[in-house]
Amino acid sequence: MLKSLKLVLAAATMLGAASGAAFAADKNTVAFVPQIVGIPYFNAMEAGGKRAAAALGVGFIYSGPVDTNPVDQLQIVQNLIDQGVGAVSVSVLDASSLAPVVADAKKKGVKIFTSDSDAPDSGRAFYVAQATDEGLGFTIIDEMVKRVGDHAKIGIVSGEATASNLNAWIGFMQKRVKDKYPNVTLLAPQFAGGTAQRAAQIAADLMAANPDIKGILAVASTTCPGVAQAIETAGKIGSVVGAGYCSPNTARSYLKSKALGFTVLWDPEELGYLTVWAGKQLIDGKALSATNTVQGLNHPVTYDAKTGVLLLGEPAVFTAENVDKFNF
Amino acid sequence: MMRAIPSLNGRELTLAGALLAALLIFFAASPYFATADNLATVVRNCVELLLVGLGMTLLLAMGAIDISVGMAMGLAAIVVGRLLAADMNPALVAISGPIVGGLLGLFTATIVVIGRIPAIVGTLGLLGFYRAAIFLSLGGEWLSGLPTRLTTMLSASAGGVPVSVIVILAAYLVVWLAIRRTPYGPHLLAIGNDEERARLSGVAVTRVRFATFVISGLLCGLAATFYVSTYRNVEMTIGSSLALDAIAAVVLGGTSVLGGRCSLIGTVLGVVLLRVLQNGLLLIGVPSLWQTVVTGALLLVILAAEVASGRFSLQSLRWRTY
Repeated sequence: MLKSLKLVLAAATMLGAASGAAFAADKNTVAFVPQIVGIPYFNAMEAGGKRAAAALGVGFIYSGPVDTNPVDQLQIVQNLIDQGVGAVSVSVLDASSLAPVVADAKKKGVKIFTSDSDAPDSGRAFYVAQATDEGLGFTIIDEMVKRVGDHAKIGIVSGEATASNLNAWIGFMQKRVKDKYPNVTLLAPQFAGGTAQRAAQIAADLMAANPDIKGILAVASTTCPGVAQAIETAGKIGSVVGAGYCSPNTARSYLKSKALGFTVLWDPEELGYLTVWAGKQLIDGKALSATNTVQGLNHPVTYDAKTGVLLLGEPAVFTAENVDKFNF
Repeated sequence: MMRAIPSLNGRELTLAGALLAALLIFFAASPYFATADNLATVVRNCVELLLVGLGMTLLLAMGAIDISVGMAMGLAAIVVGRLLAADMNPALVAISGPIVGGLLGLFTATIVVIGRIPAIVGTLGLLGFYRAAIFLSLGGEWLSGLPTRLTTMLSASAGGVPVSVIVILAAYLVVWLAIRRTPYGPHLLAIGNDEERARLSGVAVTRVRFATFVISGLLCGLAATFYVSTYRNVEMTIGSSLALDAIAAVVLGGTSVLGGRCSLIGTVLGVVLLRVLQNGLLLIGVPSLWQTVVTGALLLVILAAEVASGRFSLQSLRWRTY
């Protein structure tokens, strides 16, 4: 029994060594570890990473867990460090457990940075951020006011009341209305939990309770289809504008039916591109400046040295006109 | 034991009174409550819960439970949605829901009944299993903006009565007949009262339990058809709060969570009361955050009121004092 176990272990070690050798990557390679593989959002980031790798002349490895398991993710990061790639970027699942891995990577001369989801206290080189909470909150209000006017009544349907990112966005929506559009009435947020069904119920109720409502903002991506469906079912397309933070694929048919006027998010393809560009800067030992021109992106990218955040830029706005250019 | 399903018993009267009170309060407090559009919204919101709740009523009456019903509905909804997107005949799409639901019910029954696993544990395991299946088959991308053909078919009405209402009435009638006019009803409640005694007195326990899980699965699948037709969307989180809503509505309706007691009218009243409260509270300006508190409190108050009035005793909980 023990003997066979030893045999298996030995075989496994050899196999591990062999595969390690097979994958041994040169230093001029940037790896990106998503939270999960096989979903359209991270597929788009992968596509952006590949585009950057080709344009900038750097290797690119994309590898991540098959479900959102933080332990599996850390193992993949560790494997990449052991392979000796130049830089590893991570869309972090568990912010508290990255620090020891970063320390180990430093010893081995591998740069670690975060992208898409941060671990601020882990010692990572910097964080490639998609958009700020402020940018997302302000943009959705600005775009909505453009469509419904600055005297409109606007409702909010969010997801879980405990989701800190959603609450931060709502906070900036309220701030924007207070500072810039004093005549807009922003109703208190309603929380639908995780289902589109409940979001549809709440949106229908909001429209019944407020016959003069002009817009409904769906804060959680799961609430987008629900809000859109409620506007369609109530026959209010044209008189009530729906909008939300959701991906083009989720919103496409509703943008085309005009139940949703627009959605706000960022472009993960560009985020993937910027991630590989940033990794290349680390490998080349180039410092980031406050404003960076990135070959392949048509807008400048700002870097805040104090917080270590490299910001992709303003959020993207998706409408019926541009939605077909995106696939995530 | 089978007392007064047609005429209202104590719990049903309490519930009907509470529903009436809620309707009057909302009518007085909000000018938007008693409008045709809003009442249509409330009816539409009840559909899935009424169907899933009917199956849950039978399961609880039998002393079983199924906390994976929301996920079963979700899986059936994925099939319905995919077939709809593939331009299949809407009538076939509509029956694909109950077919898939029935098959899932069969699977659940095999695990729980044949495997002799307590229903709450077995369906908890299946909940995780089904949820992963939903995630994998959707692959991170929702079915969204599905064609309207199914919606057109099911939102039609016959003589002013919507198809959904007719289907629900038919489902309740069939189950009511099965309970009242066939041995299924007494056997179901006998198992709920005491499974071992039922077995000894010749009840085909395995067959009845099996059938009940399959019926519940069929109803979840039927709910999936209506879900897809109403929302034209299948999201990753579909059905995640359905099981608890269904259990709350059914228990509110007077079906014992420990088995042996069952009320179909109670379930209907429980579902309608839950949905009316959710709708009305929002219309009078109570933030949706408080709705779960109100429904939870309602459940406790009704049970407490019955204990106080002596109608609900420890005996009815089958606490044995040896």
